Amino acid sequence: MLVLSRKIGEVITIGSSVTITVLGVDRGIVRIGIDAPKSIPVHRKEIHDKIVEINKQAVKSEFSALKKAISKSKIFQKSDSNDKNMNEKVLNFSDSNSDTKK
Amino acid sequence: MNSITENDVIIKTPHFGELHVSKEQIFHFEHGMLGFEDLNRFVIVSAEESAPFKWLISIERPEIGFPLLSPWLIDLNYAPGHGYDVDKQAFFVVITLEDERGKMTANMKAPVILDTESLIGIQIILPFDKYSTNFIIEEK
Repeated sequence: MLVLSRKIGEVITIGSSVTITVLGVDRGIVRIGIDAPKSIPVHRKEIHDKIVEINKQAVKSEFSALKKAISKSKIFQKSDSNDKNMNEKVLNFSDSNSDTKK
Repeated sequence: MNSITENDVIIKTPHFGELHVSKEQIFHFEHGMLGFEDLNRFVIVSAEESAPFKWLISIERPEIGFPLLSPWLIDLNYAPGHGYDVDKQAFFVVITLEDERGKMTANMKAPVILDTESLIGIQIILPFDKYSTNFIIEEK
């Protein structure tokens, strides 16, 4: 790991598009300002890691268990506001693919 | 096991068996999904029997599928902030079945945004603390 010492107000550049500015230090808390292009996501690591963990859990969701959970829940309507935007961009399983169901 | 015909990609999924996916239904995720950065092409699959859930299924690894819901089915006032066009973009949140009792949670903080014109998809992390990563969906 590269270790640099910076004073308040001093800047570090990463590549030509990212800058990191030390804004202040107060009782063990460092305030950092980051300028980066929108294409480079910047997040607190613990939040990023938590979402990675949730995604890994989500892909383990069993189809049958989800169906059971849906049938128990009465809060769901069948369609939503995304449907008009998505229309033909969604692959409708029951329509076009029912003959290939295993 | 995946084979490609002229216009379709055929994938084999555990849930839906063999699916014929048109190229116009494939969304490109430059950064993948968080934790799945190597997966860059996904299709949204909707099935009547699991409506209103949809599935974000990887073209490259069709055994990988994320259950999705519209955030507005969970929270009518869901507001991901400025800079989004709800006429051209579809928003979904990733659903997790937390445990064997079937408790469902939604990751309201990291929605999946699909641009239906450019066929570009991204999972973002909302930069404010209002929304939970594991919002419990009540079973009423």
